[in-house]
Amino acid sequence: MASEFERLVIVGGGTAGWLSACVLAARRPELDITLVEAPDIPTIGVGEGSWPTLRDTLSVIGIDEVDFLTACDASFKQGSRFDGWVDGSAADSYYHPFTAPPPGSMSELLAVWKAQASNTSFAEAMSPQAAICDRDLAPRQRTMPSFAGALNYGYHLDAGKFGAVLAEHAVAKLGVKHVRSLVTGVERGDGGLLARLQLGNGTSIEGDFFIDCSGMAGKLIGEELGVDWIDRSDVSFNDRALAVQVPVESGSAIASHTIGTAHRAGWLWDIALPSRRGIGCVYSSRFLDDEEAESILSDYVEAKLPGTNASLLSARKLQFATGHREKFWEGNCLAIGLSAGFIEPLEASAIVLVELSLSTLADGYPHSRTALPKLADRFNALFRYRWDRVVDFLKLHYVLSRRDEPYWQAQRDPATIPASLAAQLGLWRDHPPSTADFPQVEEIFSAASQQYVLYGMGFPQPAEAISKADAGMRRRLAEVAERSRALAAALPSNRTYFDALNASLPDRAVQGVPSLQ
Amino acid sequence: MSNHQVLNTAAHADLRVRTDSGAALGDTVMATLVVPDEFRQVQAHYPIVFRRDNESGKFTALALFGFENGENLFLDGDRWDARYRPLSIAIRPFLVGQAADGGSEAQVHIDMDHPRIASHGEGTRVFDEHGKPTPFLEEISGKLGLLHAGYQTSGSFYDALARYELLEPFTFEVPLSSGAKHSLVGFHMINEENLRALDGDALGALHTEGHLMPIFMALASLSNLSALVERKNAKESRG
Repeated sequence: MASEFERLVIVGGGTAGWLSACVLAARRPELDITLVEAPDIPTIGVGEGSWPTLRDTLSVIGIDEVDFLTACDASFKQGSRFDGWVDGSAADSYYHPFTAPPPGSMSELLAVWKAQASNTSFAEAMSPQAAICDRDLAPRQRTMPSFAGALNYGYHLDAGKFGAVLAEHAVAKLGVKHVRSLVTGVERGDGGLLARLQLGNGTSIEGDFFIDCSGMAGKLIGEELGVDWIDRSDVSFNDRALAVQVPVESGSAIASHTIGTAHRAGWLWDIALPSRRGIGCVYSSRFLDDEEAESILSDYVEAKLPGTNASLLSARKLQFATGHREKFWEGNCLAIGLSAGFIEPLEASAIVLVELSLSTLADGYPHSRTALPKLADRFNALFRYRWDRVVDFLKLHYVLSRRDEPYWQAQRDPATIPASLAAQLGLWRDHPPSTADFPQVEEIFSAASQQYVLYGMGFPQPAEAISKADAGMRRRLAEVAERSRALAAALPSNRTYFDALNASLPDRAVQGVPSLQ
Repeated sequence: MSNHQVLNTAAHADLRVRTDSGAALGDTVMATLVVPDEFRQVQAHYPIVFRRDNESGKFTALALFGFENGENLFLDGDRWDARYRPLSIAIRPFLVGQAADGGSEAQVHIDMDHPRIASHGEGTRVFDEHGKPTPFLEEISGKLGLLHAGYQTSGSFYDALARYELLEPFTFEVPLSSGAKHSLVGFHMINEENLRALDGDALGALHTEGHLMPIFMALASLSNLSALVERKNAKESRG
């Protein structure tokens, strides 16, 4: 029996829209997919950092890793480094790498780590990745199979180029129909389900299932279906960003981690691509005005990229509302991307939420109308849980700070801390974060992530860790140290990797018409 | 061509060495020297044969990778299809050298003209940024030590083989499925008949000196000849 939802219509052509088209076309080839995109509307690059999940996604879609890396000006991301978040001193820096600590009891690992006389940081003790990031090395060698690494990795990428690559792939390889027109009206059918979109070009398009990737506007989920927006700015204060792109010199080092540097009323991102650095200042307009933010941004650029005249760079101003829909799936419409929700890009949660939404939809794509409400309830419960975990995890970065500026004090005001996070913090004084705290199979931020932030920021050892150090755990940490040395010797620098990759590609020069003599 | 240098922290601070496999990396060799101490690992994959040096009359052992010069049937593009690579292959481009003053202390030398010397920043570092040997160099040093020690003690092994007349020349006809024939000549193998005829005293003496195990390992290794023929046939049928 054919599905009652065979005709899938995606509204919006940003990263979320094209990723939706590609993943569903690849995983549900029986669907008839059309993507409607308003012409000439610039898309907002939702994020330039991905999670390791993007490797799987690209592989599912059928995009070759080398093609992706070169077409999207992409580089490897192995985690994040947070500078200045604890007290703002020069030595204040910690990593949240993608590779998890060794298996085994975290209490015992913590005890062994603390018993070591050296001042090895938590991340350095638990994973070879910190040492590799310190040296700007790649997580893999070029001879390794595609999408495989010596260490876990995702990507830094040019979101605009990524959207274009996905669009081309969706249309040329996966048979997705592309309609360039504004959506001017929506018609409902039986049971109030969405049935037809009126387009600005005078035509219309019928669909059985709709994905709203129209961005913050939420054309279907919000404007048409009226699903409420839950504001989370009481917890997550930042509402503005200033972004610049700074070209880099050839041969310069490419960091393998996003650098997030705290400032007096927010933080700065710094993302290294082979050809440029994307740098942005995120702040709360309640605590900082735009001019002050601009000067924080230009001070950073001039300090980190000496010789750059920051006043010549035109910063893009972004304003955003932090929050998410009360429901993501309503009737036969699912919101994915900014239409579903937005939070500051502190842990690059944007693309991964899109990927998780798509894998959940593809796993349980509706077949009949009977099952629709149940599928929607299940999706909404799961993603409400995920958004709550994202909000909690980002807040964790602030509540452990000891900075004393008004913004940072306000971040620690108990009234702004979600009850679920406060309860976890209470528990973590006695027991380290574990899978018992994060029981979902696909937790967006695993216990390992929580551990890296918690102990990276100097959270006290749990009571149960004392005097539990045993030989087995000591050996595991000794193995991490040995593997750090071996990988530091065997991995090439990111710059070397990408130079060699480019040199290995066939000449991409445009083939000219042979000249007549 | 080779350009042997004594490995040293200052001159080779940024040196990187290619550890992958491939024709361009000098891997298209038909055979390599092996020492009796590694016969046990070698026989799991390769036939072990012996060759007499015409000038000195001395024997050395070789692991066979192919049947003609430049043929390595274990090399498949960028993959070396065996878990163990003989020490003399694994240590390249390093070698055991003597100190210039002729002292007995062995040194780590490196052939800076070897294709495994990496020139564009890929490959594995030999020294870390503090000038300390990397785990890679530690592993290589260990293998150089084994090879050096194995080579130095091999004299008594070959003396024993000569004493009991345990080596005999052999010719191996390589039967190819294409019908073509190919002969492997000029090598020696363990003389099984003479080995069987040894009495308990002789076997006891060989065992005490540690030679009995490598003798049997070399003998057992010859069963790999048919596997090598299969590799050759498979390669020819692939074109």
